Amino acid sequence: MGDEEIKAIEQSAPRVRWLARIVLLWATLILFRLVQLQVVRHNDFRHLAQQQQEHIIEVRPPRGAILDRNGQRLAMSLPVESIYVNPLLIPNIDVAADLMAPILNLDRSRLDADLHECVQKHRGFLWIKRKAPEEEADRLRNLHVDWIQFVTESRRFYPYGTLAAHVVGSVDSDGKGLGGVERKLNDVLGGKPGKLLVTEDVRQRGFESEQYGAPAQPGHDVHLTIDARIQYIAEEMLRDTVVAHHCHTGSAVVMDPRTGKILALASYPPYDPNQPVRNEFERKARFNQAVSVPFEPGSVFKVVTLSAALETTNLRPESIIPTGHGAMTFFGRVVHDSHNGPAAMSMEDVLVHSSNIGAINIGIRVGKEHLYEYIHRFGFGQRTGISLPGESPGLVFKPEHWRPSSIASVPMGHELLVTTLQLARACAVIANGGYLVKPQLLEDAPVQSKQILRPQTVMTMRHMMEQVVLRGTGRNARLIGYSAAGKTGTAQIVDLQTHHYTHFYNASFMGFSPVANPSLVVAVTANGAAGTSGFGAEVSAPVFKEVMTASLRFLEVPRDLPDDALPVPDDGKNETNDLAIADLSDPTLLVPPEEAAGDSDGDQQGIFVPAANQVSGPQAPNFIGMTARAVAELSAQTGIPVESIGTGLVRQQYPLPGAVLPAGERVRLRFAR
Amino acid sequence: MATLAPLFDRFMVSRSVAEAPARLREQMDEFLVRAVPNEDVFLFTKAIDNTLVVRESDPAARSACWRMIASSAAAVAVVVGLLAPSLYGLLAGYRLEALKQEEQRLETMRSALELQEARLLSPARLQALAKMQRYVDPAPGSVVYLEGKPGHQVARAGRPHVNP
Repeated sequence: MGDEEIKAIEQSAPRVRWLARIVLLWATLILFRLVQLQVVRHNDFRHLAQQQQEHIIEVRPPRGAILDRNGQRLAMSLPVESIYVNPLLIPNIDVAADLMAPILNLDRSRLDADLHECVQKHRGFLWIKRKAPEEEADRLRNLHVDWIQFVTESRRFYPYGTLAAHVVGSVDSDGKGLGGVERKLNDVLGGKPGKLLVTEDVRQRGFESEQYGAPAQPGHDVHLTIDARIQYIAEEMLRDTVVAHHCHTGSAVVMDPRTGKILALASYPPYDPNQPVRNEFERKARFNQAVSVPFEPGSVFKVVTLSAALETTNLRPESIIPTGHGAMTFFGRVVHDSHNGPAAMSMEDVLVHSSNIGAINIGIRVGKEHLYEYIHRFGFGQRTGISLPGESPGLVFKPEHWRPSSIASVPMGHELLVTTLQLARACAVIANGGYLVKPQLLEDAPVQSKQILRPQTVMTMRHMMEQVVLRGTGRNARLIGYSAAGKTGTAQIVDLQTHHYTHFYNASFMGFSPVANPSLVVAVTANGAAGTSGFGAEVSAPVFKEVMTASLRFLEVPRDLPDDALPVPDDGKNETNDLAIADLSDPTLLVPPEEAAGDSDGDQQGIFVPAANQVSGPQAPNFIGMTARAVAELSAQTGIPVESIGTGLVRQQYPLPGAVLPAGERVRLRFAR
Repeated sequence: MATLAPLFDRFMVSRSVAEAPARLREQMDEFLVRAVPNEDVFLFTKAIDNTLVVRESDPAARSACWRMIASSAAAVAVVVGLLAPSLYGLLAGYRLEALKQEEQRLETMRSALELQEARLLSPARLQALAKMQRYVDPAPGSVVYLEGKPGHQVARAGRPHVNP
C-alpha cells in the first residue's frame, strides 16, 4: 500500500465516522418509532387492525324445505343476491340509473328519483333489488363498481306452483311465513340465525372464521302428510267442477280415517305462492276455503242426526218415520219437502232419499239436548287443531240459544256453520269405527283419537250410507271396483245483508271407501252452485268419485268389487234432489263474519266469511211472458246478458226473478208458443 | 444531477486517479460529441493480473467459516421452526375458507338442481306429458306387479278396462 493511499484513507476516516453516527441516529429514531407504534400505541393499532381485518357477519340459516309424504319438495329455499347502493358515494346519479336500470329491469325514472331522494336526505343506503336473479347480479358485479354492494339472502321457491298452496302457504320478502304451514311452523322451518367472526387479508380474502356467540341453527325440513299426486287430482277435479257449475268457491279434503292424516286439502280459487299479492282478488284467493270458511252444510248433516238417533233412541234403520207425502206442519207452519215422497218411510230411506221431513221427525225424537251433545261429539263448533293458521271453529249454538224451530232446522244442517275439514272428520268417525281423530298435516305427528260412537252404531251408519250411494241421492259417487258410502248435501246460501236465502247452494258430498275397511274419506264442497244441476249429488259427488278412484289406485288399495259389475242393478232413477228445507231456518241467527271466523293469528284475519255472505250482485229481472224484443230491450237496459232457447214468449227463466246474479252470470230463457 | 460514482470518486479515490481524466480529455477531440459523460471514468477498464496471487491456507478462517455456516443454519432452523406453524396455519386458513366457499357453492348448485328436478316432476307437467303421449290412467287393479308385490318398479298393465 502506497503512502498516497494511506494518506487518502486517513483523510476519509472522519467522514466514515460521521456516516456511522448518522446511521446510528437513523437506527435510533427507527427504534424509537417502533417502540412508540408497537408498545405505547399497541392497543390503539390493534383495535384499528381488528376493525379493518375482522368482520362480524350474520349467518342466516337456510329455511327448511316442505316435503310431501313421498319426499317431493313443495317448498325450498335457494341463496340469492340482493343489491344495494350507497347513494352518497355515487359520482353521478343519472349515469348510475342509466347503468343499473336496464340490467335489473327496473324503471329508470323511478330508480333515478329514489337515488336523488336519498342524496337529498343524506341517506347512505338504498335497496336496488332484493333477491335478484343470478344472471342480473353477475352482470352488475362485473361492472366492478365499488358503490354497488351485494348481500346473500334466501329466496323461497315453490316448484309445484299452485299445488297445495293453501296448505304450504308463502313467505314475505324477509322470509317470514305468511300463511299455511309456512306461518304455523315458522319457528321450526326458519331456524335461528347466528354470527361468524371472519378475519380477512388486505385483498378481503377470508383466511379464518369462527363462531361469534351462539351458532346458527338451520331450519328443519317438514314432512307433510299431503300426497302431491292426490292433491293434484283433487285440485284439478275441484277446479273443473267449480268452473263447470259457475260456483264461487270450492274445497275438498282427502283424509285417512284411521290416523287423521290429510292426504289432500284443495281450495278454490287457487293462487301461486311464488307471486306476491297484486290485488284484492288475489288476496282473497289465499283464503283456505276448507279450513277457514264455514258454511251451512245441509243434508250431509243428517249423518250426525241419525247417528244420534241410533245411540239415544230406540229407532233402528227399519223404523218407520212419517214423511207426510213431502208436506207436514211444524210449529204452526206447513213445511214442504224439496221433493214429494210417501206418507212414511224407514229411517234408512230417510237418509237414502234425503228426506227433510223425515230428518226433522228424527231430530224431534232425539231432542235438542242429545242432538247438541252429538254435534259436539262429532267435533262441530270446535277447531280441529290442524297445523294451519286461521282455522274456523264453525258455529254451533248451545241448546239454550236455540229457537223453537231450531230442532227442525239443525237436523238437516241449517242454523249452524261447519267447515269441509270438519265434515271430513265427522265422516271419518263412521269410517274408522266411531273414533273422532285429530286431522294431522305432519307425517310424524302422533295419532290422537277418542271414541264417540258405539261400534254397532257405526256399522249401521256405514250400511245406510252405502245405500245412499247404491240407490239414493249419491249414485253419482259410485266407484268402479270399490264399494263406497257417503251422503250428499245441498243447502241454500243465505244473504246476510238481506237476511234471505238465495237460490245458490252449498253443494256437498262426504263419503268413504271401501265400505268394509275404509281406507280414505273424501269431503267435497262447492259454494255458489245453482239450479237443479247445482245439488250436491250433481256437483260434488262426481268429484268424490274421481278423487277417490285415483287416490285408491295411487295407494294400491285392493279392490273389493269386480271391475265390470255394479253391486246392485241400476233402476234408472237419478234421484239427486237433496236440498235441505230452509223454510224453518232463521238466517238472522247466522252471526256476523268475525264471530265465526278463524284464529286471530291467521293471515286471513277479518276475512273469514261464511260462504253464504259471498253472494252479491244484481237481481234477475222478471222476463216471464215477454217477447224476444221486450227481452232484448230489458236486457240492454239492465245490462244483464240473456241466453235464449226457442221462440214465442218466455215461459221459463233461470235464475228465477229476484235471484241475485253473480258477476258474469246470464239469465237463461226458454221461449214457447 | 450527480450520481453515486462521482461522489465515490470525490471522497474515496486518490487525487492522482481523479486527475487522470483531465489528461485524457486534453488528448480528445473536444468537438467530438460524447456518448456518455465521463465515459473515461465509468467505462475505464483496469487490467489486473491475478496469476501471481497465491491463496495461503488459513485454518482459523476455515473454522470461522464453518462456525458461521452452522450458526446461520441454526438460526434459520429456529426461525423456520417458529414461523412455520403459523405460516402453515395461515395457508390452511386460506384453504379452509376456500373449501367453505366451495361447499357453499356446491350446496347452492345442489339446491338449484333439486328445484329443477322438482319442477320437472311436478304433477301438472307429468300430466301434460302424459296427455301428449296419449297415456291413459290404468283402471283400478289393472296394474300387475311382476314380482307380485306392490312397490316394485317393474309393472305392466292388465287387460284394458271396459266401462259397464
